[in-house]
Amino acid sequence: MNALNATSSSKMLQKFTQNNVLRSQMMRSMTILSKQSGEEYKQLNYSKRMKEMGRPVSPHVTVYAFPTVALSSITNRVTGCALSVGCAGLGLVELVGGTGTSLSLMQTIGSQGLVVAAAAKFAVSFPIVYHYFAAIRHFMWDAKPEMLENQAVQQSSYYLFGASAAISGALIFI
Amino acid sequence: MLSSGCKKVKATAVARALTCTFSTVELKKTISPKSENIKYFKVYRWDPEQSQKPYLSTYPVDLNDCGPMVLDALIKIKNEQDPSLTFRRSCREGICGSCAMNIDGVNNLACLSYIEKDTSKATKIYPLPHMYVIKDLVPDMGNFYEQYRSIEPWLQPGQEKKPGQGEYLQSEQDRAKLDGMYECILCACCSTACPSYWWNADKYLGPAVLMQAYRWIEDSRDGSTAKRLADLDDAFKLYRCHTIMNCTKVCPKHLNPGKAIASIKKRLADH
Repeated sequence: MNALNATSSSKMLQKFTQNNVLRSQMMRSMTILSKQSGEEYKQLNYSKRMKEMGRPVSPHVTVYAFPTVALSSITNRVTGCALSVGCAGLGLVELVGGTGTSLSLMQTIGSQGLVVAAAAKFAVSFPIVYHYFAAIRHFMWDAKPEMLENQAVQQSSYYLFGASAAISGALIFI
Repeated sequence: MLSSGCKKVKATAVARALTCTFSTVELKKTISPKSENIKYFKVYRWDPEQSQKPYLSTYPVDLNDCGPMVLDALIKIKNEQDPSLTFRRSCREGICGSCAMNIDGVNNLACLSYIEKDTSKATKIYPLPHMYVIKDLVPDMGNFYEQYRSIEPWLQPGQEKKPGQGEYLQSEQDRAKLDGMYECILCACCSTACPSYWWNADKYLGPAVLMQAYRWIEDSRDGSTAKRLADLDDAFKLYRCHTIMNCTKVCPKHLNPGKAIASIKKRLADH
């Protein structure tokens, strides 16, 4: 307490005011009073402000009941990633092992028995077929927004899953 | 004489009141069932003034003594069991949009969601997904409203008219284009159902705001269509939409934001 002198106490006062101004700005996050407050609001980063207030984020993927269309959309993304990884992996194998390595690798997997071979073939053909058909559906939706109705998109998702599974199942036998 | 007359009226009135009360009590005894139909409600709770993490509170509610909607159950819990339970509500008829929350995994208005009659399963009630929580079921809607303000949701006519000069006219066909968009109550059920909005809430506008942007783009009286379209033409505001279609599935007013967004994309592509 004795160490307090004029300069440090004024600094404390300054910091106190600053903190309170910041807090009042944060507290104002709920009410947009005027065009000016809206402009000030835009300057501050929303997520940072919310985190500094210690507010939790409400649960999302852990609680949401995803409809079929949403599942078909995320499957499209997953198969797309799988295809990217697969193609890059193929290239990497060829680079590392020399020409023909990937072919011999595929033949080795193929000769492991019926179940393993069929599973491997399905794992390769399903992403290709699904992603291709999902892309066609996406193009149709982009061209004709009128097709975006609840019943229609749900049915299209069932057809998409069914057709992809059936065709990639058929491709196992090649 | 007048006073005695008044006294007589008063006496009969009192007697009538007593008989009325008596018969109501009798009636209540005969019609209220002795059986209870308990349904459990698991509600997300978080108190900003306690340093505890968010948790689920379980409340038993007798469905025989409760209205049919989830909002009725929440109000009953708040009245009878836990007054600290906090949620937004106003009109209780599905028009104000205050009571939007996540009920059994689906975003809806609590005043329009019927309580599931199956008492073997508990009803889970969470706030709108991926929103910053102020308390219990109350999310912060500041960002959502700011995004709505940013699309300038008011008429900007090409040729300004002076007051008294008459209305901005519009044909019936042009007015029909706004049907299915102007009815939005800004409850945020759709935007908070969109996974893309979950991951990019600060830069992606979300289905509710985008549908309102399209409502002003489609308005034939509006003159700044080109500016409105150009404002949406960046990597995040519109194009984070990947046609997941959670929005249209979940709208409590049965509107179609997904189609509106696809229409904006088509407009920008045809430019």
